Amino acid sequence: MDELLQEFISETQETLEALAGEVVAWEADPSDRDRLDAIFRFFHTVKGSCGFLNLPRFERLSHAAEDVLADIRAGKRGADPATVSAVLGLMDRIGELTEAVAMGAALPNENDDYLIAALNAPVDQPAPQVQAAPVAVARQAGQAGPRTIRLPLSLIDQLMNGVSDMVLARNELSRKLRERSADPELDNVFERLSTCVADMRDVISKTRMQRVERLFAAIPRMVRDLGRDLGKRIDLTLEGGDVEMDREMVEMVVDPLTHIVRNAIDHGIESPEQRRAVGKPEAGALRVEARQSGNQIVITISDDGAGIDTARLVDKAIGAGRLTPEAAARMTEADRLDLIFQAGLSTADQVTSISGRGVGMDVVRANVERIGGVIALDNHPGQGLCITLRVPLTLTIIPGLVVRAGGLHFAIPRAAVVEILHDNNAMLQISCIGGAQIATIRGVRHSMIELEDVLGMDRPAQAGPRAIMVVRSGSGVPYAMGVAAVDNHEELVIRPASPLIMATGVYAGMTLPDNGQPMLLLDAAGIASAAQLPTILDDQAARRTEEQADAQAGVEMVAALRFEEITGEKRLLKLALIDRVEDIDVGLFGRSGDQAYVRLDGRLITVVNGLSQFDRAKVSALRLRDGTQEACYPVAAVLDIVQMPLVPDMVAMHGILSGVAVIEGEHLEVINPFALFASLSGYDMVEGQGGRCLLADAEDGWTREILAPLLRQAGHDVVLGLPEDGVIDPRDVLLCHDGEGSKVAGIMAEMTGCRVVQLRASPRAAGPRDASIYRYDQDALMAAITAGQG
Amino acid sequence: MNRLYLFATLAGTRIAVETDEVEAVVKLTEISPVPGMGAHVAGLSALRSRVLTIIDTAALIQGMASPTRDAGLAIIANIAGHSYGLMVDSVSDICRVPEGELPLRGQLDRAWAPYGRAIVEQDGHPWLLVSLASFIDGGGQAQAA
Repeated sequence: MDELLQEFISETQETLEALAGEVVAWEADPSDRDRLDAIFRFFHTVKGSCGFLNLPRFERLSHAAEDVLADIRAGKRGADPATVSAVLGLMDRIGELTEAVAMGAALPNENDDYLIAALNAPVDQPAPQVQAAPVAVARQAGQAGPRTIRLPLSLIDQLMNGVSDMVLARNELSRKLRERSADPELDNVFERLSTCVADMRDVISKTRMQRVERLFAAIPRMVRDLGRDLGKRIDLTLEGGDVEMDREMVEMVVDPLTHIVRNAIDHGIESPEQRRAVGKPEAGALRVEARQSGNQIVITISDDGAGIDTARLVDKAIGAGRLTPEAAARMTEADRLDLIFQAGLSTADQVTSISGRGVGMDVVRANVERIGGVIALDNHPGQGLCITLRVPLTLTIIPGLVVRAGGLHFAIPRAAVVEILHDNNAMLQISCIGGAQIATIRGVRHSMIELEDVLGMDRPAQAGPRAIMVVRSGSGVPYAMGVAAVDNHEELVIRPASPLIMATGVYAGMTLPDNGQPMLLLDAAGIASAAQLPTILDDQAARRTEEQADAQAGVEMVAALRFEEITGEKRLLKLALIDRVEDIDVGLFGRSGDQAYVRLDGRLITVVNGLSQFDRAKVSALRLRDGTQEACYPVAAVLDIVQMPLVPDMVAMHGILSGVAVIEGEHLEVINPFALFASLSGYDMVEGQGGRCLLADAEDGWTREILAPLLRQAGHDVVLGLPEDGVIDPRDVLLCHDGEGSKVAGIMAEMTGCRVVQLRASPRAAGPRDASIYRYDQDALMAAITAGQG
Repeated sequence: MNRLYLFATLAGTRIAVETDEVEAVVKLTEISPVPGMGAHVAGLSALRSRVLTIIDTAALIQGMASPTRDAGLAIIANIAGHSYGLMVDSVSDICRVPEGELPLRGQLDRAWAPYGRAIVEQDGHPWLLVSLASFIDGGGQAQAA
């Protein structure tokens, strides 16, 4: 009996969840027979089962609903909004009752008669509510689901744990094997076992995946109810429900997503009258879309409402004493928009029951970031707002940094760390005023804390320099955290820590690395609040102004590596491109046709200077990287690191050289990184003539280090990032990568009339309509830039 | 009432625990401390692929960290979905007690009051029946107060 009841409860709950959307869709299109049938079937099933299980209240409710639905099916009455509301009300009550039964609590003794009466209200009576506000829901593809079975979650967790144990045991076995003498046969068998275990782990982690549909299931209902309450009309579109993500992740995203949707309806989309007045369609469009991108799930929520009024935000921030008017005047639009994430700031004038419950965007951001996600806003005042949530595919694996402090190891999510410096770095200055530590990095002052102090640990004396991490906390104010050292970068399997430990507020979870020593994951925002750091906004705009002044003051210098070629010449190569320098066994070098390569870490890497024969046993090689591609450059000796001018003193491009620079009275040839990487793809250099080039992705390494120098050398005037003053000449060319930046760029282009050149990282076009240019296709790139400038 | 009880000593006091609550008793090897916590959380310890939160029960009761933290015995329990290890001085026996729980007599020390529930008689000695969950729930409250 108990089992039957359990089955009934979980089945009812599941169907209810799935049906909530269906009912709303059915209301929008009452003639939709399939949906009506689905709802009818639900009540029918409930009625049947509960008669058997002796649940009289269920029976009465479902019977009443079934009667009405049968009438509608027979065409005796229409599905007017009042009826739909009443049916929804019944479904809610059944949900409540189910919950009560599941928990073994007493059934809430409310008046079911009222609900049933509402259902049977005379049809001809005008509906008491405001004008019907049906919500149109884009119909999703027919769901002929694959065969499935229901499993208790605990069983899957048990399986998961078993597999984790297996992985740990395998690691230990491999350690033990390595200690012994090598036995190829044994190694082979172990290798096979290893692969099996890895496969198994992959498959098991898939059992935790769930369709995003579940996340979406509650939205239509919420949109309908809110729209009614507020008298707004909303066209809802849901897309990408078949994307899968980790079950736990779904749970974690529900709240932020709900909040954003509520916000969009409450504050974003205007009332029909207002919309008519500004020439928009009466029904506001709300679009929720999920898609997978690499190992992330991207959820975008866009509306065509009023957008965020940044001027109001700034006023509020000044009013709240968070911001000085001077600082506000220097802020960029993006900085202003960022204010929405400040605690306690909202553009809503009054607290409403819908979204103004003291839970602001700061909490949404904190929640999203806690699971290793990122939230981004794309605001078009008066035209709408698009919020993008990027969350990792699974909650359990995040990239993290392992840091050492007070003799212990801790992990911190990599996403929280903005930069890492050593405390002997010249750019960093630490001062102590009245007990407060302040770290000044490149002219920006950060609150500084020592991790050991916050956690109440001793700080043992250490020989080397300490590491200072700039960490961005949940409230968006970065601060500096001092630790003994940053040891490692790892993919960490994170599990929740016990509530006792979570209660400290400074830990976000724990992880068990391969060495078997549990490690705690630090919560960046929690540490900031534990240390009671001030949350006053830093004057970022001021910093930028200073930076620009610095840049204009003299010739721009960059760090470069001075080295000696195998052939004896001394040359320079920009340091930022060099991943590392290592000594490589010459036996690893090889040649195929006229392409030289070297085998490193089990991969073949192109040797860009084409050398494969050496007269020594080991050769020093520079490992180069442009973000996606790798190359190897064998040299005779690495000499030192020097500062060289960004543009060589004498520009003379030929082959892989871009010119000659004079360093300390010695003239050295400068390697052209563009040519180096372009040669990987078989493209040669040509020269171009041009005007101003705007590089939209100023933060991107490739753009800074490879594209910008190339364009400069080709005689273009290069601007990194979009100009602060927003003045864009129609003759300018805007270069950007495909993806996020391109959307902004497209809008900029429309506004100013300048041309946009889109670059892509892959040699192949995404489709016949893909107008972007492969970023190492120099001919096409130069042609595109010069095309409109003639 | 013919339940199984685990008999142990904790902070010099004889205690009994219902075996339903007990998952295992293990010898602790290595404990990684959790800085920033009170003395009652000894740290984290790995038991195969599980991570246990080790509670220094003696510290919880006496307010002082016990001197020999490593290589002690711990009762492993799953409380509210998390695995905990509760450190004990020694474990003596597991057996059935036909009489079951007997009501408490006398005034419990204030330190023990949140945890003790009843008395279980065995070998002619009274053993204080404690619930493991109370060390977790009560511990948090004691810390907050």
